Amino acid sequence: MLDSRLGIFGLLSDAGVVVLMVLSVLLSFSVISWAIIAFKFGYLRKSLRESKAFLDYFFEVYNVDKVFTESEKFRHGSLPRVFRSGYIEYRALGDKGDTQHARARIARAVKREVNAENKRLSALVPFLATVGNTAPFIGLFGTVWGIMNSFHNIGLTQSASLAAVAPGISEALIATAAGLAAAIPAVIAYNSFTQQISVIERDLEEFSPEFVAAFINEP
Amino acid sequence: MKNAQNRLSGEKKFSYWLAWAAAMHVMVFFLAISFQLWDAGRHAEPKILTVTLVSLPGSGASREYSDNKGGTEAVETPSQPNLPTPAVKKNASQPVPVPEKVSVTPKQIAVEPLKPRPIEKKPDINQALLRLKQNVDKKMAQLPPPSTTNLSNALARLQQKVKSEGGATGTGSGRGQGSSSTGRNGEGRGSGGSGSEDSYKAQIASIIQQNWSFSNQLLKNSYGMEVYVRVNILTDGTIRQILYDRRAPSEYLNNSVKKALEKSSPLPALPKEEGSRDVWIGFVFTPEGLK
Repeated sequence: MLDSRLGIFGLLSDAGVVVLMVLSVLLSFSVISWAIIAFKFGYLRKSLRESKAFLDYFFEVYNVDKVFTESEKFRHGSLPRVFRSGYIEYRALGDKGDTQHARARIARAVKREVNAENKRLSALVPFLATVGNTAPFIGLFGTVWGIMNSFHNIGLTQSASLAAVAPGISEALIATAAGLAAAIPAVIAYNSFTQQISVIERDLEEFSPEFVAAFINEP
Repeated sequence: MKNAQNRLSGEKKFSYWLAWAAAMHVMVFFLAISFQLWDAGRHAEPKILTVTLVSLPGSGASREYSDNKGGTEAVETPSQPNLPTPAVKKNASQPVPVPEKVSVTPKQIAVEPLKPRPIEKKPDINQALLRLKQNVDKKMAQLPPPSTTNLSNALARLQQKVKSEGGATGTGSGRGQGSSSTGRNGEGRGSGGSGSEDSYKAQIASIIQQNWSFSNQLLKNSYGMEVYVRVNILTDGTIRQILYDRRAPSEYLNNSVKKALEKSSPLPALPKEEGSRDVWIGFVFTPEGLK
């Protein structure tokens, strides 16, 4: 059905084993990075939105019990999660009279949850950076290999005409194109996600002490 | 426990997105294929229609057909097999004026569309084809075969060359003494050209020329189209080695030369005068022929 003249698919059918391997690696990179992009895009957007809504409610009410009840609605937000872990620790305290001790324990619980949240936020994102950095070079490797083969074939046929040179180079360049196609979205997504994660981390750093203070100073 | 559940749910979600990404890639792949198919279909070359032109008798016909009284059939293209044949009734003795028949045809189609006459039509086509074949054969018979012409040209050239070199008649040897410019006595020894060698060259040139299938109409440009080859021939006539001294810009010409030489091997055995050693013989191939 597919004619060999049909564009890149015709070129792919004539490509060598190494070029095909490079292309399959790049294809898998592309699939995984797009899955991460889609997954993280939804996750970070939800986290940002729910954190903002939770903060608004927190400063509006300032009653930790009510805030805790309300925080159940924001299960995907980072700030509500941190607040909940602090609240659970606060309720687990037997002697609330020892303020220093209570503050230290709540702060420790909040800190642990902040760390866990940071890890959760930045999980899988480094893979995007890896794809963005390595995919063009992998593609370039395929191209160099293809051109090497192409020149070898030119030597065998003893002809340097354009008809003999061009198809091999054209096949080889597909690998570079595939590398760039995998790398460009990965780099764009990586930059965007890094910026969003840094915003959430800043919020966590700034509002964690507020949560601890709210538990200690609860009327 | 809760953390483990969260992690499991996160992995599930990620697997879902992984499947989604794979599906998207497959979809993009198929979209690209369909786009290319559509694009290829858009730029598809038109179908090649084979049209047979047949001269009609009458004042507008060619002289050949006008003179031929028996050839009055009109041949229709086979693209309209269902149409009833026009009312061309075969009359071998008299040429029937064509315009009248053409004017009658639409009327018959309109009045009696369900009366095809394929039986009358077949002999007309066959006769016309037969006549065309005969004409072509006649013309082909008049033309000398091109390879023969080239061969005779090559032979004539070689004969002229042999004559001009003065070695066409047998073998000869010479010996002379002279004084060089430095005052020393010099001695020279030479041998005349061997007639048998030249005839051998002519013979193998004719063989190679016969085996050379090449059409200069396939060359876009004839500038610099010369192939200089050297052939190493063993005593039994086998071509051991072919060396290109100069290649033509056209690979078609180069390959045709190589094929001709390979096809010609083994050549006739070398003449006895050459002894038991192999010889190198050079040829120049041009689109006009072998030199």
